Amino acid sequence: MSIRSFWDGKGLFETHELVTIGLFAAGAKASALVIALVGGGMNPLTMILKSAVYSALLVVLLAKVPKTGTLTLANLVGALLAFFLMGQSMLAIPALVIGTLLVELFIKAIGGLERHPGYAILTVALSEFVIRFINLGVSYLMVREQPQLLVMVVVVVAFSYLGIIVGLVGGYFMTRELRHAGLLQ
Amino acid sequence: MQDFSSKLSNSSRGLVELSCETRLLLTLFASIFSLIFSDVYSLAILLFASAVYLVLETRLKTIVIVYIIFAFMAGIAMLCAHLLGYVLSGMRSQSPIQALLPMMRLMISVNTIIPLAINARLSGMVNSLNRLKLPGIIKLPLLITIRFIPTFLNDLRQLRVAIRVRFRGRGGFFFWVIRPFLWWRVFFMPLVVRLIRSADELAMAAELKGLSSDTDFGREKLVFSKADRLVILLALYSIMAAFLARDFYA
Repeated sequence: MSIRSFWDGKGLFETHELVTIGLFAAGAKASALVIALVGGGMNPLTMILKSAVYSALLVVLLAKVPKTGTLTLANLVGALLAFFLMGQSMLAIPALVIGTLLVELFIKAIGGLERHPGYAILTVALSEFVIRFINLGVSYLMVREQPQLLVMVVVVVAFSYLGIIVGLVGGYFMTRELRHAGLLQ
Repeated sequence: MQDFSSKLSNSSRGLVELSCETRLLLTLFASIFSLIFSDVYSLAILLFASAVYLVLETRLKTIVIVYIIFAFMAGIAMLCAHLLGYVLSGMRSQSPIQALLPMMRLMISVNTIIPLAINARLSGMVNSLNRLKLPGIIKLPLLITIRFIPTFLNDLRQLRVAIRVRFRGRGGFFFWVIRPFLWWRVFFMPLVVRLIRSADELAMAAELKGLSSDTDFGREKLVFSKADRLVILLALYSIMAAFLARDFYA
């Protein structure tokens, strides 16, 4: 494999898988944006709902493209989009990619996403935890002179992770239903 | 394709018009250097430079509106932090200057984000992505994401209309708050089904067109205008001045 082939990711993903990852990243970002706008910004209900929808979509994506690297690519695309559109935390992107990739490699080591449908849920739960941990680190750098603001950030992160857990449960039932309907293999 | 930000961007043009790459570069500078500096003088220089950039790139009316919204949100956050400060008395900061520093960092980021977010056009974004030498495995999903968002928002609108028709006369706010499972069933499930179907259809279309991760989407040459070069140069001078101020006052 040449360097150019490796750089372009040839052989890692098929075209239809890349399209699916792109569409789900768009769906996750757009629904988060709509919920934030309709819900009136940073209130606990909006944060829980936003995270729930996001994680449920990720579970469905992993059921549709059960490959190592899917979640990393989806998160990377989402983060790059957030940076391009809103200038959000460019600094967190490398750490986010490494964190998610490590989680995916761990899942691969214990059998891979194909082994059990529950592994998709485990992957999302672990990677979201790692991402939130990294975001807390970046937030600490921002507010290091006034640490009580970090307490606010921790509260926000806790609410959003609660939403992730709700979304994982919803995603599990949704995946089952979609498999039953023949929309997922 | 609907260019959903074009109306807003047309009304928000400032004194100069910079390229998307310059805006991204300045946002990157702001996010990195606002974290590096932790003294009030350096951050004040960066804040001033970012404010100048904001005034050059965005109309005054837009700046005022965004700042009022920002002040409102920051006020609520500060109030909550103040209340928490009473609860966790050991975590209070030592001086008002130290309390000011996180706010200054936030303002620097906001000043650079406003021009990027307000003036962003989908077409410009796609062109700028084509100019960046990203690997195909990232570029293809990213381009699809950018192109698909307006279509997805349109799908959401259609779903909302369908729900209005179905629950006519009883679809108020509390109706949905006390029935989260119903919301999940009538709104979220159809949305995911729509997403999966769109993914299948678009994937088939992409494969038929021969698109893949190694497709060349036509790399245009990146050309910086005079205004771009001047603004980047001023940004670099401001960063150097901030470093000098840090060393001088240390």
